[in-house]
Amino acid sequence: MTETKEFNVPFSKEVASRYGGETVMLCYQCGTCASSCPVAKTTEKFNPREIFRLVLLGERQEVFQSNAIWLCSSCYNCQERCPQMVELVDVFFALRNIAAKEGHLPKIYSEFAFALMNDGRIVPVSKFIERKREQIGLPPLKTIGTEALRKILAVTGFDKLLLKKEVES
Amino acid sequence: MENLKIGVFLSDCGKVLTKILDFDNIISFLKEIPDVTVVERGTEFWKGSGLQTIVKTIKEQKANRIIVAESLPKLSEIKIVEAAEAAGLNQNFVQVIDLKNHCAWPHRNVPKEATEKAKAMLLASVERAKILEPIHKLEFPALKSVLVIGGGISGIQAAEDLADLGFEVHLIEKAPFLGGIAARAGRFFPTDDCAACIQSPTSDVKTITHTSRKCIYRSGIAAISGLKIHTNSQVIKVEGQPGNYRITLEKKPRYVNETKCISCNLCSEVCPIEVPDEYNANLMNRKAIYAIVPNIYPPTYVIDEQSCKFHECEKCVQVCPTKAVELDQKPEISTINVGAIIVATGFKEYDPSVIKEYHYGEYHDVITNLELARMLDAFGPTGGRIIRPSDGKPARRIVFVQCVGSRDKRWNDYCSSICCMISLKHAIMIKTVFPEIDVSICYIDIRTTGREHEEYYEKARELGVKFIKGRPTEISHDPESNVLIVDVEDSLLRRFLELETDLVILATAMVPSEDTQTLAEILKIDIDKDGFFKEYNAKLRPTETKMRGIFLCGGATFPKDAPSSSLQAHSAALKAVKFLNTGKIVKDQRTAVVNEEYCGDCEFCPVSCPYNAIELVKIDEKHVVAKVSDLLCEGCGICIGTCPLNAIDLRHFKQSELLSQTKAILSINGQDKPLILAFCCSECGGASVDSAGMTMSNYPTNVRIVKVPCTGYLRIEHFLTAIKNGAQGVMVVGCMSDGCHHEEGIKMVEKRIDAAKTLLKEYGIEPERVELFNTIFVEGDKFAEAACAMTGRLEKLGPLRFSKEV
Amino acid sequence: MTSYSLFLGCTIPARLPNYEVSARKALSRLDIDLVDLEGMTCCAPPPVQSLDLETSLAIAAYNICLSEEADLDMITLCSGCFESLTVANETLKQNEPLKAKVNGILAEAGKEFKGSIEVKHYLQVLSEEVGKEKIKANIARKMGNLRVASFSGCHLLRPSKILKFDDTEHPHAYDELIEALGAKSIWYRNKQKCCGGLLRGYADDIALAIAREKIINASKAGADCIVTICPFCYLTLDLGQVLMKSTYQEEHNLPILHYSELLSLALGVDVKELALEFHKIKIDSILNKIG
Repeated sequence: MTETKEFNVPFSKEVASRYGGETVMLCYQCGTCASSCPVAKTTEKFNPREIFRLVLLGERQEVFQSNAIWLCSSCYNCQERCPQMVELVDVFFALRNIAAKEGHLPKIYSEFAFALMNDGRIVPVSKFIERKREQIGLPPLKTIGTEALRKILAVTGFDKLLLKKEVES
Repeated sequence: MENLKIGVFLSDCGKVLTKILDFDNIISFLKEIPDVTVVERGTEFWKGSGLQTIVKTIKEQKANRIIVAESLPKLSEIKIVEAAEAAGLNQNFVQVIDLKNHCAWPHRNVPKEATEKAKAMLLASVERAKILEPIHKLEFPALKSVLVIGGGISGIQAAEDLADLGFEVHLIEKAPFLGGIAARAGRFFPTDDCAACIQSPTSDVKTITHTSRKCIYRSGIAAISGLKIHTNSQVIKVEGQPGNYRITLEKKPRYVNETKCISCNLCSEVCPIEVPDEYNANLMNRKAIYAIVPNIYPPTYVIDEQSCKFHECEKCVQVCPTKAVELDQKPEISTINVGAIIVATGFKEYDPSVIKEYHYGEYHDVITNLELARMLDAFGPTGGRIIRPSDGKPARRIVFVQCVGSRDKRWNDYCSSICCMISLKHAIMIKTVFPEIDVSICYIDIRTTGREHEEYYEKARELGVKFIKGRPTEISHDPESNVLIVDVEDSLLRRFLELETDLVILATAMVPSEDTQTLAEILKIDIDKDGFFKEYNAKLRPTETKMRGIFLCGGATFPKDAPSSSLQAHSAALKAVKFLNTGKIVKDQRTAVVNEEYCGDCEFCPVSCPYNAIELVKIDEKHVVAKVSDLLCEGCGICIGTCPLNAIDLRHFKQSELLSQTKAILSINGQDKPLILAFCCSECGGASVDSAGMTMSNYPTNVRIVKVPCTGYLRIEHFLTAIKNGAQGVMVVGCMSDGCHHEEGIKMVEKRIDAAKTLLKEYGIEPERVELFNTIFVEGDKFAEAACAMTGRLEKLGPLRFSKEV
Repeated sequence: MTSYSLFLGCTIPARLPNYEVSARKALSRLDIDLVDLEGMTCCAPPPVQSLDLETSLAIAAYNICLSEEADLDMITLCSGCFESLTVANETLKQNEPLKAKVNGILAEAGKEFKGSIEVKHYLQVLSEEVGKEKIKANIARKMGNLRVASFSGCHLLRPSKILKFDDTEHPHAYDELIEALGAKSIWYRNKQKCCGGLLRGYADDIALAIAREKIINASKAGADCIVTICPFCYLTLDLGQVLMKSTYQEEHNLPILHYSELLSLALGVDVKELALEFHKIKIDSILNKIG
């Protein structure tokens, strides 16, 4: 069935105006990114060229509903070879930043954020590992700058990201 | 000095203007001005009896300054100046102003005020008339001789055109043979004929046999009288000026005498040295003494200095039946004099080895389109067979990759325009001879915009060429099977392909020829952001440069196909003919002049002059002064604006004329809004003021217009004088920021306006009293809007107050 | 002896003591002194950048500030940390408005980014500072005929415009360092392709599929092991093979080593000191081969 719709072009401008998203408008759909992409070649759920097309056509809802934006592995292969010098990985970060701000956050990412806020690191060190470190002669771990970090997260409003209701599972 | 007798002629446009302007009032005003001896009123003064009235006034009443208020600004001015000159009056003593479009139409709702403004405009012209000086005509020599740089398809055609028309032509080719990149291409599109074909004099329109084309070797090019071909040669110095250049050439030794060689090939047979043949994509070897292909001009062998052992060997010397080999030839320097130069240096293929993911230069079976062309040429290294260079085996699968190094911001961001057609042509050639070869073309967009070009796309599809819409990310090589793998997304099917292939053809970008930059410096002409020679104006002057006497054609300005190169060649030749045909260049001395007493040796004017018309000349031990070339100067006055010592002026528009007009036009008011002086350039800015009148866009009469050649002429003093003499605000109306007719004039005045604002602030004057407006002809209504808005702003600011003495 | 402040990051101390211990021992034998500073945090890698790019810059800059205060260049063992810190360091050095903005944030934590130090990956230090020759001169253990599938991963090389290490299309520095140890670095298909590691946790199936391809390509080419320089690549490929057993019912058993482990072994560090029991895929075959 053919669909008649009004394209929501300002969405691409919204992305382009964000830090990291500046180069999105340069895309001319040559497909170099897709053929560079290890993820696109593994799953049908992700194709960087298609996501850029949706962004440029203003398909905001579709971009955020599919969760595809979270599938970029940030290997930078596409970014190295893009003939228009589109900084694709940074555009994906910008898209994720918009999603995060609106509360569309995959569970694992909210876990990272919690860990960062609580421990200052995103992977916790277990008691087992601490004992093991001592056994093999590794120096004790230095204290983490959690306090300073919390201050930074408070200024940027990062800590508010997790207050959004619909953290996705 | 003779007494001033100023004649003023007022056209009422068939009484149409009388509804707005009170002519009786204006005439009695004029008659009271001393020196105004004649005032006439009529329907029109630029033709018929009106024009005769002017002539009579000059001849019989001895009027020596003429002011005409006419309504067809440029056309009427040309006719009136012509007639006045014929009647014995100097061209510069005639002023034509436009009361209709600059006064009556835009102010038609306020007739009384309009009449006062008209009086102010006429008074300004009268004041200017009092101090005008004559402008003389200058003559410069124009040699009927042309240098054509580059012996490719466009250079050859331009040279032939000129030689056929009786001009002396020097055709310079850097390589040992004529032909350029086009000759290497093997075949042309859309004619499908061989690249060795060029137009020839024996086939030109004026002869009986109008056969359209001939091979280069039988074209008779060498027999054209007046055409001198210099191969192996380069331009190393250019002196002199347009119409009369002195060119220094260097001819590299060929080591074979052109008049003696009979192309018997004996030398090449005995030559013991073999090196890779770069002309043939290094797919075969050639000897140290060689000719590239049989059908060449000149039909003379050449020795490659890099590889020949010279006197250690001498085998070629011994075998040559005509004693043509001359191992002791030295480079020759010679000079020639020409009136004009045509640059036809073409383009070259980009070296794609920088695009590392395609591994050109590393994988032998990744080649370029031009290298494939050599393979497809029957005279080429494989005699037309398609092989894998790595092992010489026939290629069964071929993948073309489009846009390699073009449309790619990392390398060249433009579309090279001919690569799609070259690939289609090659794909068709391959499929026609070897239908069993599998041919794919990976593309982003197929661009077939020329006449008969789309047919190639269609034919390629019919022949079974596969088109894959996607730009490959990488070419890899499997060392075991010696096949290449092209990694691409078929974006239409959203499918990932790893195309196994024997040969990859890179449709590489076309870039400026080597030495383009050096030649541009020698010729003092511009190159564009992509490194090609820059034409004066892409729309109207596509084969001219901003230097009179230097013309461009073919691929030197941008990659183009053979038909477009031919067209440009003929165009450049015609422009050279127009320039030199009468043997002289006649030009009004409407140029800048330097006051040597004030001029101190700074570099502002030579650097800012868009026409390279000013150079610094040493007049004695201590002093260096600027000197203006009357031939090169275009009279824009940008030098005036930039001179820190105010030591330069225009003969045809002196600063004193600007000041007297400024004072006069502000001296009559007749309305209660704040007076604004609008300095308009004579190009887009002035045209927008004209069009405001033509479209009857209203703006108030407080806006007074003074035209300057270019807004770049204006100095801060000019703004201040306007303010001192009663202007409450100043508008500078010029071309669009990137559309200045004198390149940077508008940008320069923009900076000066910023400086003026700072200065005004220091005097306690609101900086917004001086503003810049960028307009074009069709934006007359915008000029009117801007004038109204400026008036509104000034009314809000209230009357001008000085907190310090200016 | 050159001193660097060591940026350990999160994953290595939490999961890979074998990586840390081998790196410390090898670098010390090559006269690289590692200084552990107080107060470092997470580097703000892609998972954090995904949440907010500007916050991530500030976090990375905060850590750089600590090193600036100690007047030491920074060394990382993790390519992820290397990329996040270098991108922040270089971006802020070049972008004045952004630097001012980030410094506004850092002021809350009492820091100011100055741009006075460099961030280096330890492989970069080995390649550019220590050099192959010095490594060769210190070799104490032969590598036998060890065939190594080297895997440099993504964030050591890319984004190349910023990281400026080696040549991303023709990388050779890493292979040269492997060959300097006396092992043979072999060609295998899609050698430079990503391991998929950053998708672990969000799309494990995809990550595993990508890793599997890597394992298969290296095995096909006759590799004795894959040698990595990034903790994520290591985990994805080592732990990944365990998961492949359950997901694909496949046993690959291709040993995965850190370069620092291979280097320590070559430099003669006692096998017992290297905590090699942390390897999920046992590396006995390698130890046997190199004797």
